[in-house]
Amino acid sequence: MSDSKKTDSQSMADAGQQWEKQYAQQIGNKDRVIKNRSGIEVQPLYTPDNLQDSTEFQSKLGFPGQFPYTRGIYPTMHRGRTWTQRQLVGLGTPSDYNERLRSMLDLGATAISLIPCNSGFRGVDCDAVPLPLLGTCGTVVNTADHMDTCLDQVALDQISTAMNDPSPFTMFAFLLNVAKRRGVSWDKITGTSNQSDYLSHFVANHMFVRLSLPGSRRVLVDHIEFCRERVPNWNAMSIVGQHMQQAGATPAETIAFTFASAIQHAEDCIARGMDPDSILPRFTFFFDISISFFEEVAKFRAARRIWARIVRDQLGGKDPKSWRFKFHGQTSGIDLTAQQPINNISRVAIQAMSGILSGIQSMHTDAYDEPITCPSEETAKIAVATQNILREEAHLCDVIDPLGGSYYVERMTDQMEEEILKTMEKISAVGGMYKAVESGLVQSMIGDSAMAYQEKIESGEQKIVGLNCYQDEDDSMEEIPTCRPDPEAMKRHVEAFKAFKKARSQRTVNNALDDLTRAANSDDENIFSRVVDATESGVSQGEIIACLRDELGFGQPLTIA
Amino acid sequence: MGQSATDELSILSPPPRVLITKIGLDGHDRGSRIVAAYLRDAGMEVIYTPPWQSIESVVQLALQEDIDLIGVSSLATDHLIIPDMMTALRDARLGAVEVFVGGIIPEQERPALIAAGVHKIFGPGAKRDEIVESAQQMAVSARKNKQQEFGG
Amino acid sequence: MSDVNQFADNMVSRVRAGDIGALARSISLVDSFSDLGTLIHHSARPHAGHTEVVGITGPPGAGKSTLINALVAGLRKQGRRVAVVAVDPSSPITGGSVLGDRTRMGEHSCDPGVFIRSLSARGHLGGLSANILRVVDLIDIAGWDLVIVETVGAGQSETEIAEIADINVVINAPGLGDDVQAIKAGILEIADILVINKADSPLAQRTERQLKAMLQLRREECQQVPVINTIATDGSGVDKLIEAITDKGRLKPKRNKKERLLERTRRLIAQEAAEQVKQLVLKDQHPDTSKLLESVISGDCNYDQAITRLLSQHYTQSKQNED
Repeated sequence: MSDSKKTDSQSMADAGQQWEKQYAQQIGNKDRVIKNRSGIEVQPLYTPDNLQDSTEFQSKLGFPGQFPYTRGIYPTMHRGRTWTQRQLVGLGTPSDYNERLRSMLDLGATAISLIPCNSGFRGVDCDAVPLPLLGTCGTVVNTADHMDTCLDQVALDQISTAMNDPSPFTMFAFLLNVAKRRGVSWDKITGTSNQSDYLSHFVANHMFVRLSLPGSRRVLVDHIEFCRERVPNWNAMSIVGQHMQQAGATPAETIAFTFASAIQHAEDCIARGMDPDSILPRFTFFFDISISFFEEVAKFRAARRIWARIVRDQLGGKDPKSWRFKFHGQTSGIDLTAQQPINNISRVAIQAMSGILSGIQSMHTDAYDEPITCPSEETAKIAVATQNILREEAHLCDVIDPLGGSYYVERMTDQMEEEILKTMEKISAVGGMYKAVESGLVQSMIGDSAMAYQEKIESGEQKIVGLNCYQDEDDSMEEIPTCRPDPEAMKRHVEAFKAFKKARSQRTVNNALDDLTRAANSDDENIFSRVVDATESGVSQGEIIACLRDELGFGQPLTIA
Repeated sequence: MGQSATDELSILSPPPRVLITKIGLDGHDRGSRIVAAYLRDAGMEVIYTPPWQSIESVVQLALQEDIDLIGVSSLATDHLIIPDMMTALRDARLGAVEVFVGGIIPEQERPALIAAGVHKIFGPGAKRDEIVESAQQMAVSARKNKQQEFGG
Repeated sequence: MSDVNQFADNMVSRVRAGDIGALARSISLVDSFSDLGTLIHHSARPHAGHTEVVGITGPPGAGKSTLINALVAGLRKQGRRVAVVAVDPSSPITGGSVLGDRTRMGEHSCDPGVFIRSLSARGHLGGLSANILRVVDLIDIAGWDLVIVETVGAGQSETEIAEIADINVVINAPGLGDDVQAIKAGILEIADILVINKADSPLAQRTERQLKAMLQLRREECQQVPVINTIATDGSGVDKLIEAITDKGRLKPKRNKKERLLERTRRLIAQEAAEQVKQLVLKDQHPDTSKLLESVISGDCNYDQAITRLLSQHYTQSKQNED
């Protein structure tokens, strides 16, 4: 037999052993243990041995659109319909917002996401804040009129919106108002209350904390119930993993905590009497996409599989629509650097690609100057173009789950699943996510992971270009112009708001606030319904939140790691 | 740090008392928690507040807790009101307290902070050793200033 | 008068006049082991004795700080000026600490009728700062009616608070693992008032029953201990707690300022004497002492005898050193 034929007939096991020897010989002492962010060891090579056998295909992978949805929640995925390009926009006054929004839509964004000014997150109106701080990181929207201006010339019944608005969802209330004014019926309104997950705020992003923990819990269930009846095509529940990953949770921990939260929210709704299948199809998720490319793909694939099982086997969902893990992803700002910021364009492209290959439903890409300032029009354009290029030029959408079948990705999906389930066990053991957050358990776990990652960066084990390697002597942030609203325009906006308050009927406002107070103190009135009514009566965001803080409390969620 | 400076630090009793806080509107506090942990591990007594402290509450806290050093984290635009905080501290006779700022401060806006009396600004990527050493130096200096101001 | 003495008197005057900065600075000096601190305290001493000290202790997670926040609000409504001293543990290795209790009392940060000070235990085993009594004296002369001292109490070693406070409140919360874990022998003995926080928990009733059962087994005085349910996060039960504190203050043997001062001085000297003797014994390298220790090991001499001998020895020795 010729030599080549001999090689062909060599058994795979033998060839594998031969490779191991050659690998060890060639790499010598340069070999090292590599672990991904979730702490899972990454091998130099994966082979068919790492794949599930064909009998496992159905139970572990399935076809797209079939339980357990590992390969995708729909039969067609991006080949049928690409992900929604939902870019965050938020700066200055409502007119500023409207201008930027319309240019984004022209450039290829297909949905709206409005970021309110930090003062809005704090729950205060613009007349209570030092002028230089207004509108620098989001749009100042305190009334329904402001929202009307924001969405001028936007067809509310044709475009999906996200309001980045935590409890008590005043921005969404403003939107409903505007729809009413324009004669658009509420069943045509689509979009997501994408910051409705109060647990994630308490744990990991205190920016969004506006009411006490038990108060937020009550308002959320009211909100879901209201939307189920009155705004049926709106996703009232978005469970957020972004904050936890940004605060330092590993990707596997993030999924675990997020699912534990989702279970908690679902159980609270079911306890209120809602049928699982009446709410679960409108549960969506919101995650960060880090630059740990393959880990993210494995993370989302594992997530689809796990969620399907949780809903079917634990939460009692019978409708396949309830089993689908739908998610919006944002390229992670944590991986971007302020040093040599233009490199962030590459980083975002990689993160976005990872999101696409993960089977994402909706995505926001960061602008490269995100670590330094609110994006300018120019940098925001590049972020949208990145998605357009990936969609049109790289042919990533031609094949569903193209990384499926990769020995590495399948093995890593299984391993991520193990890690995720392990962490979920820890949360179950203390009685569920609400209790775990109350006791500070989750906060300290995240704090530990954050510290561990920080140490990796400090020691240089995790290299970041421009930060701890390949630094530029000339590094200066001076080249990035800061994008700030025009102070005169903002001043006028504040004056106009003050005038608006003066011109209102104080009696109407007081009545609306009384109704709201009564609802907050009752056991069975829907608080969110009263919020919507209040916004119609000209009550401002700050007034609504102040009222609810008085009645429901304002939590201090802090636990130091 | 020089030998005499290390000696000075070790005889500081009580140990340096540091306030880590955020004023203004932003609530992202991952970085400030990490700095709090660094300083604790370096033997300091750290008083850590939630974000959104008003300038008034920072002044009252610094007064009641006999703070030596204030670290303010600013990632968005809250650094724009730090000069107001510096004025308020001086008005409350807390001029001996040293202040450092960490986070995202655009290069062109740093001089205004220094002019207002901020002693040090750390950008993103500042390393642990750098932060700890600076804090130690500032604490020693603040104590000296306090002694001068109060006498004895 | 020397400069230093002048300075100390000056500081004390400023503190009595209401200068918060001076009070805070004095507390730092007094909380350290400096001579200056000793002088300041010495100068302050005669003026103290006015303020009531309420100790609040309990296991981590019981909600002490949140409850104190609500307590302060209630007391302020009654027009009383309240100070809070919150003691947190420090790292035994680095000596550093994160003092976070006051984060839960944020709503009072700008109220001139409230003074909050965070202290690190600095390795002091009793769970309190070694100088806590001195610190209390300073706050006393600054004109506060009531000082709340907060400390973590999880076991027998953290009962030192009983020596400091006029009234001891022990807080527990249901569901912190074994429900009576936190009410180990020591803590229960010192309580003048028992509080069950997070009383809205379904486990609260069980905790209450267990507590009351344990009280029945205790000494007569302990059976008079009221058990109060609170929900610190919304203020429920806080009025009752304030009532209980006021009642206890009245029930305790009527004490005027002088008697209170005597009591506290005695405690302070006892504490410092104990520390001094401990250091003397530990550092004692005298051959006679080694022989004494050996005789204890061999059984020729028991502990009591050894201690008596050492104490009389050391007293005599130090007296000799003085003369």
